[in-house]
Amino acid sequence: MNTNSNVYTVVYTTVIVVIVAAVLAFVAGKLGPAQNANAKAETLRQMMSAAGIKPTEELYSTKNAGILQLYADNIEEAYTIGLDGQKNGELTTDKDNIQLVDKLKPQNKAIKAGGDATLPVYIFKSGVIVIPVYGAGLWGPIWGYIAFEPDCRTIAGAYFDHESETPGLGAKIKDEAWFREKFAGKVVEWGATPAFRLEKNAEATGAANAVDAITGATMTSKGLNDAMNVWFKAYEDHLGLASAMHAIAEPETNKAEEE
Amino acid sequence: MEYISLFVKSIFVDNMIFAYFLGMCSYLAVSKNVKTANGLGLAVIFVLLFTLPINWLLNTYVLQPGALKWLGPQFADVDLSFLSFIIFIAVIAAFVQIVEMFVEKFLPSLYSSLGIFLPLIAVNCSILGGSLFMQQRDFTSFGESAVYALGSGIGWYLAIVALAAIREKMAYCNVPKPLKGIGITFITVGLMGMAFMIFMGIQL
Amino acid sequence: MDKKLKETILNPILKGNPITVLVLGICSSLAVTVQLKGALVMAISVTLVTGLSSLVCSLLRNTIPMRVRIIVQLVVVALMVILVDQILKAGEGTYAIDKQLSVYIGLIITNCIVMGRIEAFALGNKPLPSLLDGLANGVGYGLILVIVAFFRELFGSGTLFGLQVLPAGYIPNNLVILPPFALILLGCIIWVQRAFDKDLQEK
Repeated sequence: MNTNSNVYTVVYTTVIVVIVAAVLAFVAGKLGPAQNANAKAETLRQMMSAAGIKPTEELYSTKNAGILQLYADNIEEAYTIGLDGQKNGELTTDKDNIQLVDKLKPQNKAIKAGGDATLPVYIFKSGVIVIPVYGAGLWGPIWGYIAFEPDCRTIAGAYFDHESETPGLGAKIKDEAWFREKFAGKVVEWGATPAFRLEKNAEATGAANAVDAITGATMTSKGLNDAMNVWFKAYEDHLGLASAMHAIAEPETNKAEEE
Repeated sequence: MEYISLFVKSIFVDNMIFAYFLGMCSYLAVSKNVKTANGLGLAVIFVLLFTLPINWLLNTYVLQPGALKWLGPQFADVDLSFLSFIIFIAVIAAFVQIVEMFVEKFLPSLYSSLGIFLPLIAVNCSILGGSLFMQQRDFTSFGESAVYALGSGIGWYLAIVALAAIREKMAYCNVPKPLKGIGITFITVGLMGMAFMIFMGIQL
Repeated sequence: MDKKLKETILNPILKGNPITVLVLGICSSLAVTVQLKGALVMAISVTLVTGLSSLVCSLLRNTIPMRVRIIVQLVVVALMVILVDQILKAGEGTYAIDKQLSVYIGLIITNCIVMGRIEAFALGNKPLPSLLDGLANGVGYGLILVIVAFFRELFGSGTLFGLQVLPAGYIPNNLVILPPFALILLGCIIWVQRAFDKDLQEK
């Protein structure tokens, strides 16, 4: 058979494309639910690691079912807010029907476009409040979960993840425990621009809202810095207000922090 | 104004070769003299300029979550992004092949000078890289993706012509025998890369 | 025939090494050689992918129309990489492995070694030699990757496989971590190889 004729070429290409598309669609459809369950458990692990519910290693050695249970046991309340800082929805926390806002990309777009956003706020029984951040790193998306103390200002813990940052450089935001541990105890200056700084030599300034960028991973650090500031801005009307109210209600603790 | 800043940024600050080290294989292999480097560079600009906006259209109206809304509200939840790798690469390979056939048939003189580079371009990581960056950075308009494509193409072109010029001069240098050719080229590119890092922190 | 098979396996590791002699797959060798662990994962993945896609393309070689061969090859490679990714993602135990691997997936598809070996070897040879050629090229590629990663992790972080090797007082050299240094290191590896093997020297 003449494998170089036009008809053969067209038919062959069509057949290959159809087969490949069918295989991929079939696989994506069949495996979708299992993948989503894994992704959900992964999100919960990252949130609970940031919130300090259990050590990160322990969370990662727990099976999916155990993670769902752990979350249901520890969560107090979960809801979503709009860009105006007002609550606009509830997220159920029942073990068999945990609702999360784990598709962060559309929310990121909504924040930038100023449209209708549903930004999640997770409040744990320990009083810790967890919010997500999301942005672009060097090669792909990066995101993270930031946990706040009940004063809505001091960071209790953080967990970062990425899709495809360079191993050993940008990937350090996830791989190196010392990096995320640096965030604990720092504060977010609501109302200031920028609210938080992840920059080269930022710690040397002694500012309470600054963490050093990762050496050699300029683009990833810059991306994370932008992601945090964009998302903090979106939460400002909600958490910033809560933080101000907290400071009025408990002036002593606030003073102690300032000293 | 935004377009100009994006344009300048994609040439110098986000240079495909020196900031991301994409498209290295053909960059090193086809930079022996300025004339062929010129040909490959132009071909890269040309292919990027067409494939990137095509991929932008596909990404916006077919692939990304909710992109199929224009077909009807029942498609609003369809997410085809798992296909993006394969679609992007197929568009690039198909485009290269079409151009090759077209040029061979209608512009034989151009084909003889450019033709051999065209198959090389399908596997040039900077072309696929451009499309993936486009998807990741959420370019909001068709124009933006075209400007970005032109800018990063020109950046690649400048880089390969610069290296070719250096390599032509190097022919007169007394390089240790085992280093001659590709060895010293690697080191030269490394040094050029370091020099280009001065652009990294620039805000535009 | 046996001698030819042996040649197929041994040649890509030194004399016809994909990185230092054929100059293929440079992009990924710059990106993943900051740590030994990453380099090793990448080396294994690429070895498997080159081997398998060479095998598949060699099986298809008499049916592929010449004019669209590049599209067909790319689609075969991309399909296999994506399939593995999707399957790993679905298993509860394998999800963590996939998360580690997903970083490299884009880099594997665009790795010119895979395409280069299909073009240069698999399309003109029987399935078994093609499989071996693909695997051997992956090994040759991985060897250089591991050598570069060894030096970059040792001097860039003072560690090997994440374990502290150099004394604690060593201040890591940040230049080593940046991509340009990988190019310079590759240049030096080529220098050493060609100093021993005069046939490879360029005039």
